[in-house]
Amino acid sequence: MKNEKKKRGLLEIRGLRAALTAFAGLIVIYVAFGLINTKVFSMQNIMNLLRSMSKYLLIGVGQSYVMITGNIDLSIGSVVGMSAMLTATLMTLGVAPILAIGASLLCGVVIGIVNGTLVGKFKLPPFIATLGTMFVARGVAYMVNGNRNTDNIGITLGKETADRFQNIFYYGKTLGLFNPFWIAFVIFLVFFFILSKTRSGRHIYAIGSNADAAKLSGVDVTATTIKAYLVSSFCAVIVGVILAAQAGMGNMDAGLSYEMYGVAASVIGGVSPLGGSGLLLGTFAGAALWQTLENGLNLIHAPVGIQRLAIGIIVVMAVLMDIFLRSGSARSTKKSD
Amino acid sequence: MRNGGIRMENIIVSMNHISKSFPGVKALDDVSFELREGEVMALLGENGAGKSTLMKVLSGVYTRDEGTLTIRGKEYGDLTPKLAREVGVAIIHQELNMCRDLTVAENMFLGREVMNGISLNNAQMDAEAKKYMDELGVDISPRQIVGDLPVSKQQMIEIAKALSVNAKILIMDEPTSALTSREIEELFRIIHKLKADGHGIVYISHRLEELSHIADRVTIMRDGQFIESGNFKDYTMDEIISLMVGREIKEKFPRIPAHRGEKVFEVKDLNAGRMVRDINFSLYAGEIVGFAGLMGAGRTETTRAIFGVDKKTSGRFFLDGKEIRIDKPFDAIKAGVVLAPEDRKKDGLCTKLSVRHNLALPNLDWICGAGGIVSAAKEEELCDKAVESLSIKTSGLEVDANTLSGGNQQKIVVGKWLARTSRVVIFDEPTRGIDVGAKVEIYHLMNQLKEQGIAVMFVSSEMPEILGFSDRIIVMCDGRITGELDAKNATQNEVLKLATAFESKLGV
Repeated sequence: MKNEKKKRGLLEIRGLRAALTAFAGLIVIYVAFGLINTKVFSMQNIMNLLRSMSKYLLIGVGQSYVMITGNIDLSIGSVVGMSAMLTATLMTLGVAPILAIGASLLCGVVIGIVNGTLVGKFKLPPFIATLGTMFVARGVAYMVNGNRNTDNIGITLGKETADRFQNIFYYGKTLGLFNPFWIAFVIFLVFFFILSKTRSGRHIYAIGSNADAAKLSGVDVTATTIKAYLVSSFCAVIVGVILAAQAGMGNMDAGLSYEMYGVAASVIGGVSPLGGSGLLLGTFAGAALWQTLENGLNLIHAPVGIQRLAIGIIVVMAVLMDIFLRSGSARSTKKSD
Repeated sequence: MRNGGIRMENIIVSMNHISKSFPGVKALDDVSFELREGEVMALLGENGAGKSTLMKVLSGVYTRDEGTLTIRGKEYGDLTPKLAREVGVAIIHQELNMCRDLTVAENMFLGREVMNGISLNNAQMDAEAKKYMDELGVDISPRQIVGDLPVSKQQMIEIAKALSVNAKILIMDEPTSALTSREIEELFRIIHKLKADGHGIVYISHRLEELSHIADRVTIMRDGQFIESGNFKDYTMDEIISLMVGREIKEKFPRIPAHRGEKVFEVKDLNAGRMVRDINFSLYAGEIVGFAGLMGAGRTETTRAIFGVDKKTSGRFFLDGKEIRIDKPFDAIKAGVVLAPEDRKKDGLCTKLSVRHNLALPNLDWICGAGGIVSAAKEEELCDKAVESLSIKTSGLEVDANTLSGGNQQKIVVGKWLARTSRVVIFDEPTRGIDVGAKVEIYHLMNQLKEQGIAVMFVSSEMPEILGFSDRIIVMCDGRITGELDAKNATQNEVLKLATAFESKLGV
């Protein structure tokens, strides 16, 4: 009896159903592509898939955090670019990689605090506030190296240092899987834990559901908003570093429109664009689903346009399905007076 | 369209043996209902009794499973909202459905705009809107922006809109819940006029005391079933209540003797804008202090200023004689001063979160262990205790808070504070919009707090509740405290006199 009660409770957790649906979709897509081209199932491909997915996963985690507070972060893609350019430029100038990354993180923190303060404290619409920082961060990305992409990062540090940096963040493997996957996965686990098991995670959900009520329950809405934007900036900076490692240089347009990829991964995984609900588990599924689709279409030599088209349809379908599921369950549980 | 002679016995709505089930719930079970021309039919029942569901069947929102439905002499098998509107059924919603940024006339003609070729014929729409306003005898310009008008005026616009589409059957769902007593009088005047014009009005309200002014007949429902129907004047209030609740409520206000203890909390020189001016008062252990006043007297603003929600220009607080600083809600919570706010949906609940998360939210500081990690066991214990001690009716802790009935939602708003060792508990309109049974449970809860030696302050706009339940009454008017009364000897007239003691020089 007690057990039964618990079990039913689990499925009632908001967002879990959507997350599981996304996982189901992921499996269907993966198997479908695998039946067309068995290369999809190869170990090599799985490893590549996990590596490519790491960027979407990180971006998705950051955007999900902000979306659960009921806001949006449009500056993510530009922060990726800023981080890639800043890290790479500093390294071409001979700065040690660790310090270069530190500098990028610092800039990311500034953007996060600015975003969170504008939205949380000064009540700017998040769309506008982060649109502003989006342009600012991209501007910084362009200016860092005088309006051009950087040279190879090893130009002054030497090939050995550059290779080590590239291996750690992109090409190397740990326990048989590429490092960027581990980096993304560990960050995912940490933020998953914070969001689901800690006080500040609860606060994130609470302000997304009802900021007024949260405030009256003693939640510091401004601080919580800033925290969420810090998470998204942090994730974006790490993605920037990964991109710099992948290319071995800084690209001014790195991370272009990644913020929307983040929205897509979150939404496919069942994170509500209105705030208050969603699980990072879903975001994981969303990012994986997307990457699987991209990977599978590549392997069957579909044109790039098809990828975009398919993603667009899936995003809308995911939300549509969520609406139908919800209105269905609302009808069955809602008691009217 | 207008009927010449109105005969009282003309039945315009007849619903027979209506049943409606939702998965897992039988919302309506063999309910019959009748409405005549030119009468006000009070539809009464606790929350969850099925009143709204029945009215949604009548207005075509829900399709009934069984039963027949006759409107103005014609039987309708399948009634859609559109068809219901066409045959003259209109609902005046509890939460008004208006586009706040559009004008009065634009709202009234939304979706059926009068056109002049391809452009809007604003002149004609304005004129028509004005005509209906005049008919109702209310002074609202058709060009005013709806959002700038008070709720009472917006309600009049809804009524005018209903008349403009020739509605004959008006369903009013808690129309007075947001009105001041003067606005209520105005509404009643209009209801009388509509009655005289032959409209049938279904009137749903929890405020039983106001029914004697308007109700002709009454239908009582309970648990989705039809209980009784008859002439309003044949019933006493107590009979109606016991029919609604299905059990005798012996004491409407179970006041327990006060054991007034030490002074617990003192507010000095509190100022926060126009609505909170020079507020000074003290609360004592084991005492319930009722804050009376008209709507807009500044009582809610006072509670918010104390709790640190809104900025204040001055004010000092003393807890057990020691001064405490309250700059934000968390300061107050830490000190043991808590607030159950007025507007459940807006300020009280995270409606999209589960019951569990709502109950835990203000208590995370102590159910979290090192590193802010939520202790599942402590959380479970807290929630179980709250659900049990308040008998919150919910199918589980994981369901969203907004799936619960109003009374149970209110219990969560209150319940989330009970796990803490509070010294002062402030309730703002704790019984608004909840049914009689839930009200009594809230009263018992406040009594429990009182017995534990907690200072209780409650704001209420319901006079009987203020008079019947508080130990001491503080009356506010226009942002100031205008008087203090001992509840045992206080009369309604005294309270009202203080509540209307406006400063003459202000001339507002």
